Amino acid sequence: MLSKPRHGWVIWLSLVLSLLLAVWPLPEFLQIGRPLWPALFLAYWALEAPSRVGMMTAWLLGLLADVLLGTMLGQNALILTLSTGLILALQQRLRLFPLWQQSLVLLVVLGLCQLLQLWLNALVGNRPPTLVFLLPALVSGLLWPWIYLLLRFIQLRLKVS
Amino acid sequence: MRLLVLGVLAIALMVVDARFDVLKPLRSQLGMTVTPLYWLADLPSRAWQSMTQTIVSRNELLAENEKLKAEALLMQRRLQKLATLTEQNVRLRELLNSSALVDEQVLVGELIGVDPNPAIHRIIIDKGAKDGVFVGQPVLDARGLMGQVVEVMPYSARVLLLTDNTHAIPVQVNRNGLRAIAVGTGNPERLELRHVADTADIKEGDLLVSSGLDQRFPAGYPVATVRKVLHDTGQPFATVKAVPTAALNRSRYVLLVFSDRRSPEQRASDSALAEQEAQKPREVTAAQSASKAAEANAAAHPPAAAQSATQGAARAQ
Repeated sequence: MLSKPRHGWVIWLSLVLSLLLAVWPLPEFLQIGRPLWPALFLAYWALEAPSRVGMMTAWLLGLLADVLLGTMLGQNALILTLSTGLILALQQRLRLFPLWQQSLVLLVVLGLCQLLQLWLNALVGNRPPTLVFLLPALVSGLLWPWIYLLLRFIQLRLKVS
Repeated sequence: MRLLVLGVLAIALMVVDARFDVLKPLRSQLGMTVTPLYWLADLPSRAWQSMTQTIVSRNELLAENEKLKAEALLMQRRLQKLATLTEQNVRLRELLNSSALVDEQVLVGELIGVDPNPAIHRIIIDKGAKDGVFVGQPVLDARGLMGQVVEVMPYSARVLLLTDNTHAIPVQVNRNGLRAIAVGTGNPERLELRHVADTADIKEGDLLVSSGLDQRFPAGYPVATVRKVLHDTGQPFATVKAVPTAALNRSRYVLLVFSDRRSPEQRASDSALAEQEAQKPREVTAAQSASKAAEANAAAHPPAAAQSATQGAARAQ
């Protein structure tokens, strides 16, 4: 596929949408399980359009997330870069997996990300007390097939490459 | 390779951001570009609110009007009393030679977002550096202290609430002036008092007000009411649990206070000077005693710039 990159704005729009979803108001009991939207959206584009979305994109998006969430500058940048790097390293194999296996791999990757997030948060003194920090990774893993199908539909429909 | 470079860059950014102030402008400018996302996320609830307001029934409005009128009447009656009390308070303070109670200036802000991480109690309001908001500014709602501003962007600001587990505020029991430090627990309905002696005179229902010893929060605003005092013989201190008076997770409108930013010793010396001016024609000894009292006052508050509420609190204790 040596075609010219097209419709790059769709990718960026979806990434901005993921940031919006990351701060969307949720009821208290749902908040602890809020899916890791930016990481999920980045994972999709890294899988399906690795020539367009790489670690640089992840880093920039992470920086925006840091400003948006008020964490240390670079915290989410590091985490998203790492998760995207892992996905890119596995990309060739991961693309051929059935959706549920992709979900499992993402669960592990995002779980690692959450662990790193916990460590970095502990450095500045915010420590959630329990294993709850793994819940978002679990929810994200469960949501992955639907997100994948939705973004796949959009990508094919708009011929984003 | 690229991962390594970007990772190191991210870590470097983190260290610089945590240790130095050079990234603050970048942060606030970037913040201005992404804050509309909070506004956008808040849009549905805003729309819903305005819709329910427009289609609320006439009867309800009449009832509400009635209720508000009754409330206004009550408030006015209280206000009448308050005027004389304020007058009296000023006169008594003059007698005591302490700084007069200055009416603080306030600015009303509106909540536009909350931190998506439930373990961190921070909110975002729609007033920022352009409105004169500054880091460390106290934030109130109609019922009491809510927290302080920790980050300022041009058109918005981030407020750390009292109940965040990285926040502490020095308080006083309103009944007897007992000092303590109220720290957040991470539970939006709970504060805990640190290092309260087992024999201290504190009981359920006591109102805790800000003591102002942190030189950040204005003194005398309600902070919390004591809910439970536990005496455990195995523990060196009593466990005191309190409930914040402010509706931390319900208030939509907040008040930003522009208080007198002079330090207590400065205020004391200012008032001493004013006193001296006033008493010059009369007696010299009176003025001397006044300045002595001012010195004593200043000694009670050691001069040092309070960097955070926590530090200020620790010193006060």
